[in-house]
Amino acid sequence: MILDNAKILIGDDSIFARKQIKDMICSFGNFTFIEAADGQEVIDLFLSEKPDLVLLDIVMPVKDGIAAVEEIIDADPGAYIIMVSSMGTQTQLRRAIEAGARDFIQKPINTEQLKTIISKRFEGR
Amino acid sequence: MYTQFFGNFLLNKDVISPEELIKAMEKQAAIHLKFGTLAIHEGLLTASEVDHIVITQTHKNKRFGEVAIEEGYLTKEQVDFVLEKQKPSYLLLGQILIEDGKLSNSDFENLISDYQSQYEIFDLESNEEQKNLVVGLITGFGKSEPEPVSQSVIDYLTLFFNNLVRFIGNDFMPLDLVRYEEEYPTNYCISQRISGNIAIQSALDMDTDTAINFASRYANEDFSSFDEYARASLEDFLNLHNGLYSVNMSNERSVELSLTPPEVHSEDILEFETQTYLLSIMFPFGILHFILDFQ
Repeated sequence: MILDNAKILIGDDSIFARKQIKDMICSFGNFTFIEAADGQEVIDLFLSEKPDLVLLDIVMPVKDGIAAVEEIIDADPGAYIIMVSSMGTQTQLRRAIEAGARDFIQKPINTEQLKTIISKRFEGR
Repeated sequence: MYTQFFGNFLLNKDVISPEELIKAMEKQAAIHLKFGTLAIHEGLLTASEVDHIVITQTHKNKRFGEVAIEEGYLTKEQVDFVLEKQKPSYLLLGQILIEDGKLSNSDFENLISDYQSQYEIFDLESNEEQKNLVVGLITGFGKSEPEPVSQSVIDYLTLFFNNLVRFIGNDFMPLDLVRYEEEYPTNYCISQRISGNIAIQSALDMDTDTAINFASRYANEDFSSFDEYARASLEDFLNLHNGLYSVNMSNERSVELSLTPPEVHSEDILEFETQTYLLSIMFPFGILHFILDFQ
């Protein structure tokens, strides 16, 4: 997978979850990571950093992940956002898709599944 | 129980597009599960047998189950078993996709088989002795209660033990499950609320040394101090457990729940409102207490 120089924004209130995701993705290639611990910080960093990909939790303080997807897609309809959450219920999955998320990874994260889903973003790059 | 919602499984496998998933979800409330869908799910009929019965049914004005018996595919007892079986909500999605021509019965049969083999939870099944201890603890507790313990509490606790086996290890001994009515003084405690049709306050409490060991096992790292990563991994475990419970309630019973972010209570007093249960579990590295308040 050619991911060199890609910029990935990880939004999760858990420092453990952010580290786990970074460690997994680092085994796929070289990238730059940006991290946010709540929904508002995700939106602010998206607007200032323009990442290639956003990986986003749902249950977060200040503003939840789906509210963040709505605001990001409003500002940039082409934004590529994948939810990564333990809350993959029918309601949350539907809210996420309707808000504009491209895919939904249920935690605990399976490394191969993460790789497959991220690869779709960078196909042909 | 499963570790993923069936619709999410179909989406991840590119079986359907996000738009098709939403369309199918919208139709769910208006339809009922068909006998053939349930029988494939239970492994009692193959897709080709269902197809054959459906064709035969069009020539006779009879119910699916009656034709299945007449054709020798099922016994009367098997038909009754399917009719009485609890009907998991996620099968509706599969049935809608079959009716819309997106899947054949045969595709559905293969997908259900993949889904069950990849995502069904039975970690506790690997150790018969321990499974008996856990089941004995939960059912024994139910019998001693003045009112029957609800299926939701039993499902919640069963999933909790499965998650312990899966993420921490199977070298534990369940010590006690009791009703708890007083204020609970915490050591290091993480709590999280589930809200919706079922409201649950859950809390995981242990001393710091036990917490370091618990976190080390969960994160697969060797934490020497109770630093922010160790603390965050405890929160992640509780959040993961409650998330998986919510996913299963959604997947199997169409009960939609939501979660609040985990909170920390260090040497604090927890106050519960109703029906509080205290579960104590011993690992070689220490004892953990799990407090559950079903409202």
